[in-house]
Amino acid sequence: MLAGALGLAGVAAAFFLCERERFWINWVLWFLFLLTTGLGSLFLVALEHVVGARWSVPLRRVPETIAGLVPPMGAAALVGLLSLGTLYPWTSAEGLRDPLVAAKAGWLNEPFFALRAAACVLLWTVSYVVLVGGSRRQDQTGDPRFNRRARRFAPLFMVILGLTVTVTAFDWISSLEPVWYSDIFGVYVFAGAFLAGLAATTLFTLHLRDAGRLDGVGPDHLHNLGGFLFAFTVFWAYIGFAQYLLMWYANIPEEVFWYGERLHGAWGGILLALALLHFLVPFLILIPRDAKSRPRLLFGVALLMLAMHWLDLYWMLFPSVAGGPLFGWPELSFALLFLSGGIWWVRRLMDRGEAMPVGDPFLREGLEFRL
Amino acid sequence: MNPAQGPFSVLGVFDTPDALLEAIGKVKGRTGHRLEAYTPYPVHGLDRALGYRKSPIGGMVFVMGLVGALSALVLELWTSGWDYPLVTAGKPVVSWEAFVPILFEITVLFAALTAGLGMLLLLNRLPALRHPMLRSRSMALLTRDRFGLAVESAGEPLDPEALALLLEDAGAAAIEVVERPPAPGPASPKLLAAALGAILLACLAAAGTTYWGIKLFPRLIPMAHMLDQPRLDPQSGSSFFADGSGMRPPVAGTVSQGAPPRPLPNAEASEGLVNPLPGSAAVFRRGRAAYDTHCAVCHGLLGNGEGSLTDAYGARPTHLTAGAGRELSDGAIYHVIVSGKNAMPPYSSDLTEEERWAAVHYVRVLERALDALDTDFQGGAR
Repeated sequence: MLAGALGLAGVAAAFFLCERERFWINWVLWFLFLLTTGLGSLFLVALEHVVGARWSVPLRRVPETIAGLVPPMGAAALVGLLSLGTLYPWTSAEGLRDPLVAAKAGWLNEPFFALRAAACVLLWTVSYVVLVGGSRRQDQTGDPRFNRRARRFAPLFMVILGLTVTVTAFDWISSLEPVWYSDIFGVYVFAGAFLAGLAATTLFTLHLRDAGRLDGVGPDHLHNLGGFLFAFTVFWAYIGFAQYLLMWYANIPEEVFWYGERLHGAWGGILLALALLHFLVPFLILIPRDAKSRPRLLFGVALLMLAMHWLDLYWMLFPSVAGGPLFGWPELSFALLFLSGGIWWVRRLMDRGEAMPVGDPFLREGLEFRL
Repeated sequence: MNPAQGPFSVLGVFDTPDALLEAIGKVKGRTGHRLEAYTPYPVHGLDRALGYRKSPIGGMVFVMGLVGALSALVLELWTSGWDYPLVTAGKPVVSWEAFVPILFEITVLFAALTAGLGMLLLLNRLPALRHPMLRSRSMALLTRDRFGLAVESAGEPLDPEALALLLEDAGAAAIEVVERPPAPGPASPKLLAAALGAILLACLAAAGTTYWGIKLFPRLIPMAHMLDQPRLDPQSGSSFFADGSGMRPPVAGTVSQGAPPRPLPNAEASEGLVNPLPGSAAVFRRGRAAYDTHCAVCHGLLGNGEGSLTDAYGARPTHLTAGAGRELSDGAIYHVIVSGKNAMPPYSSDLTEEERWAAVHYVRVLERALDALDTDFQGGAR
């Protein structure tokens, strides 16, 4: 509470005292961090419905609750539309003088940008209500028809998420450098988002287990979460490296400059930290079978991955507006406000209902899951 | 080989995986024998119920993955960086970025092969064609919708009646005593001969097919994607450029790498130039390489003006080792290499300064070779 108040005061002060650019880039960074974490969690929920997984039914309320970050962060994204004139070069006549940017003016213009952002928020909120709201209602009714409905809707949600995450990545992140263009960028952001969702789910699961609210969730369930973290840290690195390799090989000026800004000096150090701590270290730690079900180790790895997802976004966003890494009281205030606000919001949602989907007919089967 | 007597195992057949897991709890520790389960699909919790130790496969895969990564790295460093360094797209010959995909694939290959083959061949000892369970009557059920729990003998004798009672108490729906297969007899000479004959025939057929296949279809290229490209081959024409040629001449004034651009001396001034290189064996070798690569197609390997292109070209290049050609000074030859003469284009963009002078040396060697002195031969005085 105190941290949140402190953060709120700091953010308010930053709004009046800081350069506008610094304030808004922090805003974009933090709403994207919590939004992608929520969307990754919602994807995990949808994945369970699509493949008909049973082991994860006892855990499902955890990602469902974290996905509760999506509606408020969607609202924060709409507030973020105020940043367009400050942060995004394509909004000014000067930025449009570059023929490569002018050619994209049909896509990169303020009304269309706002329309896309609003459409994304609307689609996410509707998906959240269908998938999570339905599941919460099932707690009371125990109506098995929800499972069938969710199973039909989940593949559609995956398509929606694929398109909206790509649009979000292109619009909010890569259009900070409107000349730059990368096909795979949406997949890269999705990989980070899903990993963040998994890490947050793991953290919150372990927290709830310690609090005694997830009776019956054993080491075998944790092992599967650990396996997911293990697999998708490789996926993130694979996609990230694929993007880098092609640009490195082709060496086309309008592509490599983006990496040029982010490879040298302190930004290069951050990229190295990402390669080691977002991929190599968690990868090596999670290789042994036992490691995937050891709660304390898993907690540490998940925390690390969440922090690295933040650093990944920081590394993508900040070089566009700052010469070197920037971390002062405004950044700290944003961290305090959004982190404490996000944790408070998720815990409030969790405390309002059951910690497991008690109405789901497959809950028992999920609890009996053994490797 | 196996002196064990008596049945191989007593097998209880269960209707559900839960019944099987329950039975394992009841039977485990009550016999001195090994327990084994047979199920049509992986049953969750089975290996823990049977008390299996951790499989060594994970460690094997990890080690072989590392071996794969290192092999790929050494292979790439050696081929790209050492044995055949080839600059691609202006990148350094040792570029870790370019190595990563191959490193990744070889690591996965080694790890996957180790996991698959290590599990099947090394740990499960397949193919176990003489495994007693293959003769079990219940095997057809166990691969379909029933679940088996067997008390197996590793060589020691079993007590079938007691074990059958134990399994029935544990809930088995049916019991089978699985006998050992009869010991294999010595292979009959006829069978051996037939097998050897079949192998020989197969070898002959493969050899014959390969031999005649290559003879009949010598230029059959299975995959020609890389060859059949919409591209211009060397020396081919093209309507794209005004001069009708597909190849582009170097930009005017181009000099080869490593050769500093310097004003070209005119023909008269060149006459008196002195070859700056010593007449050493190493210089001759460099000169020969330069000459054979750039000059010999027209001037001939012997310098007699009868290169492989002479007939097709029509004109006759200068005979370098006789007549007027032989009278040219070192400086005059150097000047022609740099500036060209008549139909001969300048070679300043192909040959470095050193290569030009080494080639001049080599032309002198060719001349000397035509009427060599006794002292030029090995063993002769210098």
